[in-house]
Amino acid sequence: MTTVTMDKAGPRRKVKQGSISRDRAWALRWSYFFLALFAIFSLTPPLYMLITSLKGSAEISAATNPWWVFHPTLGNYVELLTSSQFLRFFWNSAIVSIVVVAITMLISVPAAFALARMKFWGSTALATGVFLTYLIPDSLLFIPLFKMFATFQDWTGVQLLNRWYVLLLVYPTLTVPFCTWIMIGYFASIPKELDEAALIDGASWFQTLTRIFIPVALPGLIAATIFAFTVSWAQFLYPLVFTTSTDQQVLPVGIITTLIKGDVFNWGQIMTGALLGAAPPLIIYAFLMDYYIAGLTAGATKG
Amino acid sequence: MADVVVGQASVTRSTGVRKRSSLRNAVKHKSTVAFLMTLPLIVLIAVLVLYPAVYSLHLATLSKSMTKFVGLGNFQFLFKRETFWLVVEQSCIFAITAVIFKALIGFIVAHFVHNIPAKGQRKWRGMLLVPWVIPPAMSTLAWLWLFDPSYSAFNYTLSFLNIGPVPWLGEASWARFSVILVNIWIGAPFFMIMYLAALKSVPDQLYEAAAIDGANWWQRIWYVTLPMMRNIIAITTLFSLIVTFANFDIVRILTAGGPLDQTHIFATWAFKVGIEGSDIPLGASVSLFMFPILAIAAIFILRDINKRGNEA
Amino acid sequence: MSRKTLTRRQFVAATAMSSTALIAAPYVRGAYAAGKLSIGFWDHWVPGANKASTDLVNEWAAKEKVEVSIDYITSQGNKNLVTIAAEAQAKSGHDILAMPTWWPHANANYIEPVNDIMDSIIKENGAVNDTVKYLGQANGKWLGIPACIGSQIKGPCSRIDLMKKFANIDVQAMYPAGGPPKADNWTLDTFLKAAEACHKGGNPFGIGLGMTSDSVDSAGAFFSAFGADLVNAKGDVTVKNDNVRQALEFYKKLIPLLPPDVAAWDDASNNKWLVSGKGAMIMNPPSAWAVAKRDAPQVAEQCWTHGFPAGPKGRFAPYLPYFWTTWNFSKNKEAAKSLLVHLSKPSSIEKCVVASGGYDLPAFEKLTTLKVWAEEGPPKGTLFHYPNPYNHQKLSIAASPAPPKIAQQIYAQGTLTKMALKYAQGEKMEDVLAWAEGECEGFMRS
Repeated sequence: MTTVTMDKAGPRRKVKQGSISRDRAWALRWSYFFLALFAIFSLTPPLYMLITSLKGSAEISAATNPWWVFHPTLGNYVELLTSSQFLRFFWNSAIVSIVVVAITMLISVPAAFALARMKFWGSTALATGVFLTYLIPDSLLFIPLFKMFATFQDWTGVQLLNRWYVLLLVYPTLTVPFCTWIMIGYFASIPKELDEAALIDGASWFQTLTRIFIPVALPGLIAATIFAFTVSWAQFLYPLVFTTSTDQQVLPVGIITTLIKGDVFNWGQIMTGALLGAAPPLIIYAFLMDYYIAGLTAGATKG
Repeated sequence: MADVVVGQASVTRSTGVRKRSSLRNAVKHKSTVAFLMTLPLIVLIAVLVLYPAVYSLHLATLSKSMTKFVGLGNFQFLFKRETFWLVVEQSCIFAITAVIFKALIGFIVAHFVHNIPAKGQRKWRGMLLVPWVIPPAMSTLAWLWLFDPSYSAFNYTLSFLNIGPVPWLGEASWARFSVILVNIWIGAPFFMIMYLAALKSVPDQLYEAAAIDGANWWQRIWYVTLPMMRNIIAITTLFSLIVTFANFDIVRILTAGGPLDQTHIFATWAFKVGIEGSDIPLGASVSLFMFPILAIAAIFILRDINKRGNEA
Repeated sequence: MSRKTLTRRQFVAATAMSSTALIAAPYVRGAYAAGKLSIGFWDHWVPGANKASTDLVNEWAAKEKVEVSIDYITSQGNKNLVTIAAEAQAKSGHDILAMPTWWPHANANYIEPVNDIMDSIIKENGAVNDTVKYLGQANGKWLGIPACIGSQIKGPCSRIDLMKKFANIDVQAMYPAGGPPKADNWTLDTFLKAAEACHKGGNPFGIGLGMTSDSVDSAGAFFSAFGADLVNAKGDVTVKNDNVRQALEFYKKLIPLLPPDVAAWDDASNNKWLVSGKGAMIMNPPSAWAVAKRDAPQVAEQCWTHGFPAGPKGRFAPYLPYFWTTWNFSKNKEAAKSLLVHLSKPSSIEKCVVASGGYDLPAFEKLTTLKVWAEEGPPKGTLFHYPNPYNHQKLSIAASPAPPKIAQQIYAQGTLTKMALKYAQGEKMEDVLAWAEGECEGFMRS
């Protein structure tokens, strides 16, 4: 935008142009300065995780310069990556997140299609209702859900509490509404003529969805997938409440409850665990950043 | 994309008669098909969101041992507790302060990113979004370690300036500050990215026109940028307000509500009372209290969603 | 074993085996019907201590041909409490579960009484202390077997050098290894003076005032030393009395002498305070010392665990027992009881105590003078007085004479530490008492 103003001003007076471009250079410098400041703010904690993860417990308890590693060691990584407990957390997290992503897509894509394209009785209310589920956050639901699962077990004998698969039931409540929301936005942006034409051509609704909408809205689909994965991977409250045995736990809760032992100095290990736990979303993000951002902003820009 | 083109081509070839009959067929089945397609969504939300929400109403009317119906007794009890009002007040302070700062920082940073040449934007955007990508439970651990009373890396750094040691989590005001700071750290990138998207969607012509009219930098923001971003600012703010209000992990990991309960918010206190204090009905009552406050936010969101629908 | 005459050692082994066979007999008959047992032990702070319990369980399992699975559940962030609540609600869970302090009482309705085995264990190991009776018995029923694993006294652990240097107190002379304590002068006044001296010297005492158990336990012992009970044994609120006022006055003097952020301390903070070399004293079981031994040996060499200072109403030390309990909905109660008997044998208990470096504290009278406490070091004898070998101090738990369900709330909400903080931060005495009274009345919910 500033470029535009400069171009406009340029032809008019030569002296003015000089001062504007000097202003602009300063504005740019300030921008970089503040961006660098914010980047430091953003990256300090992850960087500190990395630094601490490379330290042994003796170095940590010696309270030397916390920002520097004097005796780098990969001991924490070796210990965690060979610990069956930690690998179990990782495995649980991976299974839960992947299955939840699949469930989410199976539920939200058809629903978004129906809500975006097939106006039917109550469809507008439902579309709004989907978004409104965000008003009922997990911290409101964990106690009734906890009691529900306990009662369910009383009636049927099927144990849900303290089993990792209970998370497959509850995570979709967090991922489906937002993914449906993203997909409605994407589907709504596809020209109506496309599906009308397909229908007229004899395609069923289902074929219209799979042959036309899904290919066209693929970027949105990827965005929603990433989003669902990140949300499932990061969830903390539900697994904390619903799973207790160490072999049923997922990564965030597992790290916090098993690696933090009140009296023992394993902050090196805790930071290693946290870093490893943060790794999958970070890696996905590094490769698919643009989709991720597209997903986040989908509701906003498509509106 | 190729399929689409083929489909479009075939439409032009089809005859009028066939057009009408298949349209009618489609319409006849449309609502059934649509209903079936949305059924899983409806079931999911009904069983795992709406039902427990209603069920928590029921739980909130039971006695501690869950054997007796006490009506509004739990709420009566809560209203008399100092701690409860403390939690209400803190939740509001926590959510409102955090959201305001997240929005402000997000807005400022989005502007800076937008200001620099497009080539470098991707790199900066990537770095600035990192806090949002790391699972909050993990990054909060790093903060916890940065705040540690005996080993705080911040205090180590500050000691060179002869400041401190700062009781980051030890004193009520500092603890509130720290908890809010971490929340801002995690949440600000979300605002940044939303605003950046909005900034990019503001047509350049508007700025050109403003520049011709001699608008300065501030006026351009006030009269062009903000009105164009109004919708998205509203939606983002309200969305974040809900999430922040219902936050659990940051407070739980950093302070667990202390010192002196002065950082407890609804979710952490409900957890303390309901699960750790084995008083499920009281915990349910506490978290139910979030609802009226969120409902007010809902009314605002509803209005904005309707706008969005009209525009589309 | 040879067919010829038994050697003495073989004889002992044989009788030991037959005696376990006897105790386990009621179980063995039906043993093979349900051959699975799941156990939730407390996850030990001391590095490597979990192995002893694993070995003991496996030893028993091999003999009884039972398939066992063990979960080690940490008490960090109250994870174990969440587990207990979840299992009680779901009516399913571990066959044996370690419950700290108040939780057997809180779940009394779901717990299988263990009087049958407890009586014989007491006969063998000696009587249990009053705190264990208070926490483990409801209406004459034993709700669980006192577990040695995790049970602890949270007495002072002082730095020998710093106490000498700043406060002119020789803790080793006061609590000599191998002999009775000579601690008549070790009163709250002396303690305050020492705290002040160490604060001036730059190595303040590290006594938490948070809401986790270490902080609450210390507060409980100090309050008891003044006879300051918030709720009496009958369940009446007795907050407004002079003993409580005295206790608050004491804390008001103490708090400025502590590190500035003690209000946010959790159970790990005091350990870090000691291990980092910053503190002259903390109130903790020997795990802090054990970690120091590994990570900061120069600190560990100067640590001495000893008794609490005495107050006007006596000398109290915070004691925190764990119990091994069995749910009444457990599918394998008999096997569970058989294992509990095995774990409570003197030899088993000694193994656990040794593996934990002396941390674990048996509740039974005859088992407080094991060799390990005299031998552990460096410095040698640092743990000699940890298990209270001369009954020099009364073992108690915070909020204790109150009926356990009310006391549990006082304890869990950290009412004692909160009162101390509020008063020290400038609230008026009567306001603090009124606040505490309101809190206690709120804890009467049923």
